[in-house]
Amino acid sequence: MPEGPPVPAAGLSPPPEPAPSGEPGRPSGAAAPDSRRCPDHGTPPPPAGGGAPEPELLDLVDQAVVVCDAARVVVRRNRSAAELFPRLCVGEVLSEPVAGPLARAAASGRERFDADFGGRRLAGHVRRWRGQRVWLVRDDSAVREREDALRAERSRAAFLTDAGKRLGATLHHGRTARTVVRLAVPVLADAATVVLPLHGRRTAWHRYDGAETGGSLGGPALRRAPRLADALSGLDPQPVECTAAELAPLGDAVPGALADGGQGLVVPLPGNGVPAGALLLVRGPGREAFSETDHQLAGRFAARAGIALAAAAFYTAQSHTASVLQAGLEPEPLPRVPRLRLGAAYRPAQVALYIGGDFYHVTPSAAGGVDFFFGDVCGKGVEAAVLTGRVRQSLAALALVETRPVRSLHLLNQSLLDSGNERFTTLVTGSARPAADGGVEVTAAGGGHLPPLVLRADGTVEAVEVGGTLVGILPDPVFDQVRVRLAPGEVLVLYSDGVTEARGGPEGDRMFGQERLTRHLAESCRGLPAGAVAERVELLTTEWLGDRPHDDIAVLALQAPPARGARP
Amino acid sequence: MTATPAPDGAPDAAVVAAAPVDAGGPVVTDAVRAAFDACLADADEDGARALALELLDRGSGAERVLLELVAPAQFSVGERWAANEWSVAQEHAATYVSEQVVAALAARTRARPATGAVGSVVVTCADGEWHALPARILAEVLRLRGFAVRFLGAHVPAAHLVSYLHQHGPDLVALSCMLPVRLPAAHRTVQAARLTGVPVLAGGAGFGPSGVWARTVGADLYATGAAEAADLLSARWPPPLSGHPALAHLADDEYTRLARSRGDLLRQLTEGLEARLPAMRHYDERQREATVEDLGHLLDFLTAAVFVDDARVLTAFLTASAGILAARGVPPAGLDFAVAGLREPLRAFPRCLGILDAAHRHLADAGHTHPAP
Repeated sequence: MPEGPPVPAAGLSPPPEPAPSGEPGRPSGAAAPDSRRCPDHGTPPPPAGGGAPEPELLDLVDQAVVVCDAARVVVRRNRSAAELFPRLCVGEVLSEPVAGPLARAAASGRERFDADFGGRRLAGHVRRWRGQRVWLVRDDSAVREREDALRAERSRAAFLTDAGKRLGATLHHGRTARTVVRLAVPVLADAATVVLPLHGRRTAWHRYDGAETGGSLGGPALRRAPRLADALSGLDPQPVECTAAELAPLGDAVPGALADGGQGLVVPLPGNGVPAGALLLVRGPGREAFSETDHQLAGRFAARAGIALAAAAFYTAQSHTASVLQAGLEPEPLPRVPRLRLGAAYRPAQVALYIGGDFYHVTPSAAGGVDFFFGDVCGKGVEAAVLTGRVRQSLAALALVETRPVRSLHLLNQSLLDSGNERFTTLVTGSARPAADGGVEVTAAGGGHLPPLVLRADGTVEAVEVGGTLVGILPDPVFDQVRVRLAPGEVLVLYSDGVTEARGGPEGDRMFGQERLTRHLAESCRGLPAGAVAERVELLTTEWLGDRPHDDIAVLALQAPPARGARP
Repeated sequence: MTATPAPDGAPDAAVVAAAPVDAGGPVVTDAVRAAFDACLADADEDGARALALELLDRGSGAERVLLELVAPAQFSVGERWAANEWSVAQEHAATYVSEQVVAALAARTRARPATGAVGSVVVTCADGEWHALPARILAEVLRLRGFAVRFLGAHVPAAHLVSYLHQHGPDLVALSCMLPVRLPAAHRTVQAARLTGVPVLAGGAGFGPSGVWARTVGADLYATGAAEAADLLSARWPPPLSGHPALAHLADDEYTRLARSRGDLLRQLTEGLEARLPAMRHYDERQREATVEDLGHLLDFLTAAVFVDDARVLTAFLTASAGILAARGVPPAGLDFAVAGLREPLRAFPRCLGILDAAHRHLADAGHTHPAP
């Protein structure tokens, strides 16, 4: 603290002149002696003659006291004032260089000021006393610092809370990385880049500096930026400062405009056990250096960002696994074959997964038309889907050596029994062969499945009893096969119990049922192409269900194309 | 609708060849449209596909074929059903054929080399929304304009969309809703998308006149048609998150209570009407089921009106229903009976009553009220 010039002896200053006409609201002249008393504090009246307190007494005041006359000449000041305004001398007019905001306030006639001066935050106000102006000035620096620190801490906490919320919103890895860099600017830096862990020989990065960019880096570039390489390897768990120039080997990952004279902070992003990447924070030459607080804030932000990136990476890996398995289990697109129309609808109970216990498979046959199977494994979800995969593979393999549907069912039954699996399936398997007259000959063998329905050209609907026992339960199953002739325009509809056992309707608890399905086919499916019939059955079922949960729903329609020019 | 197919069964080539050609290729003339309509009427998938591809082969842009041929034809399909010219089966078959045409156009244009995508969009229909064709057309138009597009199909639960968003991270969700009864579901979708930080573009007649209810449910953008949507997105990409749902009125719980007690209300309404309209007592099972289904629609539209706090959801439904009934020789005055029948069960729901009043006035203005029963 500056020592300050010695306080001039108060006695040197001219004694205060009494106010010429008294202060407003205060009695003047004769009443003056009363005003010298200080009943509130019980202080003794000042010594007669002077009319001013002892100078030492002013030094006891813990604020700066500066007394000026009407012409703003300093008449007196205490020790605190000498600390706050070291060059302030008694006898001189208040001036801007010496008294800053105090001089400005006095010159402009304001009664208060609150401003920075000499590295301090000063708050002052004026009182009048005997025609003189008594300025009382308080050093608010400490209070302000505490308030500023509190505000800054609050804004950092708000930043981290917001970051946590926005990072938690998505599980997509790319979006998470983009969110990280967007959050970091401008709070932490002018530009931010997330560099992801090496994947093979390269690594991807996402940058934000007001605009988004992305790209990838090779291993050699990484080796030339050792601080980043260390952060990515998890060797250095702390944020490390460097010049932006040191990051230059990273090319576009760091904005070129900031490389000259800018400064960088390399922040590791801790994941779940392995590093989730690194965050490069770059400040331009015009911005203040990274402070200790910035380091801490960057570290706390990185902890959240790292967890979010690690969770997203984990989710991406899991969902990739799931989607690859799912792709292998979901029904394949229907083939296009001459003189036969096909249509299907598939809506698993777990729509998002798109696999379930219902399955169908249609393959073109060398004998013309198609071979098909359609079934429903007990249960739903992933477990059921896995068994549908087995059944489908078994049947596809059996088709290579066995063309008789009933025999195929027996072999599949035996195979499922041998596997020791407790689950079973219903099944219809068969073939559809276009005939010379434009019709289609369908042969089907049943394993305990719901009877397929045939929509005839005249609008009647017949149930085809395929019979048979469930597949995969009994050692001595009974299977049989039936033949159905479809005339042009006629359609055979296979469906799972997700259709007929759908519960809903206007009253909410009725079963859709085979009767209603039959009626709808007759009333609103005549003349429809096979694909539209399948979609319509799915639509009617789902509408019946309303918002209620449902079982897997599958529909397969086989149709002899209508004769040309025929109208329903 | 009767169509006269050309002797060779393929009238399309001649009709397209006869169409004048402008800068965008052959113009979709009335004759081309009529030929396409005939294919829809006959559920002639091959004919419709051939006609559309013929336009493409002769130089029409795929966007023109989609927006000037397929979309208007599909619009008139709905009108024909409403006017009782077509059966439900015909409507459904025509829609199916249109979908196959869009798929064929997509397959043909997808073969073209893709340039760098403008951005990625997932196109979806609200849960329970079955009218997928407009969304499908939007998806194809956006794809033709350079966006990377994935179409999730009809009737997409919000949870399915969310798992797609987490897996694929698109920049925008385009949400189609053709019937306002799906607005609560659309709101769930909008909410789910925005929670993952993805903005939503809403479209479709279900969002009301000028998309007023798109804003109510908090969508960030709204476009009336596919071309407008593509223009909007091209002008500002990526779109910012800017929507705010305006659903403060839901605090009165009327929507929740109404949705929860749908089954009971429907039963009360049906029984009340049976008591007042003796003819209903002689309905057979199917007639009764059909009536209950219609009353269910009325209740669903009322519920949606309460959800967005706008009587126009219900009045527009009543106008359409009156037209549909009239076309089938049923006096639309029955609608007013049904509206009146809801007053008693809903006497404790002030907002519902206000909407029912508006509905009654609307029917009275249109001359669809009964003389006192």
